[in-house]
Amino acid sequence: MRAFKILFTSFLMLWIVNLSAQSIVGSAHDFSDDNWNTTGQICLVCHTPHNADASISNAPLWNHESTSATFTTYTSATMDATTGQPDASSKLCLSCHDGTVAVDNFGNQTGGTYFISGNDNIGTTLSDDHPISFTYDAALATTDNGLYDPTTANSGLGGTISEDLLIGGQVKCASCHDVHNGSGIDKLLRLSNDASALCLTCHNK
Amino acid sequence: MTGRFISLFILVAFSSFVFSQSVVNTVHNLSANGPGTVKASSETEVCIFCHTPHNSSPRKPLWNREDPGLNYTLYNSSTIQASPGQPDGASLLCLSCHDGTIALGNVLSLNEPIVFNNGVTVMPSGASNLSTDLSDDHPVSFIYDASLAAADNELADPASLSGPVHLENNKLQCTACHDAHKDIYHDFLTVNNQNSELCLYCHQKTGWDNASHKTSLATWNGSGDDPWPHSDFSTVSENGCENCHQPHTAAGALRILNYYREEDNCFICHSGTVASKNVEADFGKQWIHNVTPTTNVHDPEELLPVQTEHVECVDCHNPHMAGSIVATAPDASAYIQGVPGINSGGTAVNSIQFEYELCYKCHADSPDKPGTNIPRQIEQTNVRLEFDLGNPSFHPVEGAGKNMDVPSLITPYSESSVIYCTECHASNNSSVKGPHGSDYTHLLKFNYETADFTTESYQAYELCYQCHDRNSIINNTSTQFAEDVHQQHIVDEDTPCSVCHDAHGISSTQGNTTNNTHLINFNTSVVRASNGGGSRLEFIDNGNFAGECFLYCHGKNHNPRSYN
Repeated sequence: MRAFKILFTSFLMLWIVNLSAQSIVGSAHDFSDDNWNTTGQICLVCHTPHNADASISNAPLWNHESTSATFTTYTSATMDATTGQPDASSKLCLSCHDGTVAVDNFGNQTGGTYFISGNDNIGTTLSDDHPISFTYDAALATTDNGLYDPTTANSGLGGTISEDLLIGGQVKCASCHDVHNGSGIDKLLRLSNDASALCLTCHNK
Repeated sequence: MTGRFISLFILVAFSSFVFSQSVVNTVHNLSANGPGTVKASSETEVCIFCHTPHNSSPRKPLWNREDPGLNYTLYNSSTIQASPGQPDGASLLCLSCHDGTIALGNVLSLNEPIVFNNGVTVMPSGASNLSTDLSDDHPVSFIYDASLAAADNELADPASLSGPVHLENNKLQCTACHDAHKDIYHDFLTVNNQNSELCLYCHQKTGWDNASHKTSLATWNGSGDDPWPHSDFSTVSENGCENCHQPHTAAGALRILNYYREEDNCFICHSGTVASKNVEADFGKQWIHNVTPTTNVHDPEELLPVQTEHVECVDCHNPHMAGSIVATAPDASAYIQGVPGINSGGTAVNSIQFEYELCYKCHADSPDKPGTNIPRQIEQTNVRLEFDLGNPSFHPVEGAGKNMDVPSLITPYSESSVIYCTECHASNNSSVKGPHGSDYTHLLKFNYETADFTTESYQAYELCYQCHDRNSIINNTSTQFAEDVHQQHIVDEDTPCSVCHDAHGISSTQGNTTNNTHLINFNTSVVRASNGGGSRLEFIDNGNFAGECFLYCHGKNHNPRSYN
């Protein structure tokens, strides 16, 4: 009975922690107070409830000018994955973070003058960034020999890597980052990288 | 209950196996929670010390460190066929910590260096800090292709290196031997190096399979210095290459040997501490093949015959081939097999067949070689010419001798016997077979008096009496020769054997079958030309146990004196 109580209390605490998860409000992606955002809105910089841009697949009610850059992708002699051009949600991230599109070009505005800078500006050269837009499946894990099988390995979020961290079976920006700051972790990470836990979720090193 | 224990054991064993394969549990986890002593004060991320997901260095994979400079002193030797360049590829990544020039906490993704415990900035000195002097480390960053393997002749086909030991873009890099993320076999080795398995992936030394250094199960008896301070293994066989070699920061940089003085690599074991016989002790005697005063003067690529007088252990022994199987004269024993020499014709050979070919490397045609202390009618210091089978007489080293009637020979010796140089020249009073050191002049195995007026005794000519029966030599008076010649000269006149006999032989280029049979070549400090009648110094062979001498010796004038 005592063991049950401890177990129950633990679950309750976990549930409370989960309830208290952070939101976009006040996060790095809350631009409501930024000079370039004259609307004072949070969601509007990226989303609109009507007349959204449907040209990018899986773009949720998109309201920001999207990048048309061609990206230099990551290559390495020891990489077994095959990367492609960023697409879908990754392309949405890069629509601000590649530095080619003004951050204030949203809601059909053009000619914006505010561009992302510093470390937040990833640029169009992705050869110095973790690869994205590649399929991460059991076969890749076998070939690489330094990756966990995503179909069986735990994501740390309750399911497998495939279920929780991959999008359409691929690694994308959103595999590591939660754009809406759902976890409240620095750098909008989906999982804490304390002890490199996020890296070691996939990398079997 | 037992079942629970077994389950627990399996669980623990399994988790420790998984754990040991993870970088998290290695000293490469430099985070504050890492297991090593060199680690960050508070940084908890593990990967960050080398990798970053964004804005990495151009180096792969996602490198988070700046490049070290390219001013490394590279490994070189006279026998290396490869051409190591300044480190590149993965090796340069390793050196961004392991050359000790860049602070361990200097990472590109942070504006301030990660702070380490105990004030550590760069790699602390010690085995992990290779410094920028790579001349004492196994070479890296060289192209290892089929042509290198062919040129070296003792390297594996690079096409075979597709497993744990592998090349990187055709080059050998640190990653061939080390996996920075896994420390299963110590030192992050990619393969367990017991019995030098790792080394042997590439190095295929001729004769190694049967070499004592590969097969011996000898262990250290605990006296003297630990012969294997950087190894976890306890037998010669298990240590293999590492008996002598050390792949990093080797004290003997040339050929990455454990010790700077090449003989120390041998003496550490061959002093009765691992090998049962104490070879080192023989080098404390008066007459030695003196390997100790010089260091690394032998070069495997040196021109033969040897041009500058020197001797090191490896002049006579090939540690990659040497074994303990004895042979029959004149064949070389396993102790000295695989060593270059000079054959009876004076031509250099890469691997001797006969023992004397090893001796000829220095004691024959070399311009700089030990001489003799006995002045003779015919002077010759080229022992190859002295032992030539075409000579009028010689001790039977290259083949059986000329004299078919030698009654003094002690069984098993006979007129058809062939003997080794080392039957006369070898360590005295030693269990060690070779000519390492002797208390007797000219590194003779037994006493051999050469001074005039030596009182005959077994001890005085102990060397000769090993094969030539003393009683037969001095007491057999059945012939006039025995009575008038040997007994009278050796016993009555106190004349040493060496006054008349030149032990090695008389070259056919100088002597002849009339005057120089029976090793006759007079010691001219004792024997002079006869008085009167032409003043001759000459022995004339008149057939079996018959001859005459023209000479003046011990106040007696032979002009001639004959026997038959």
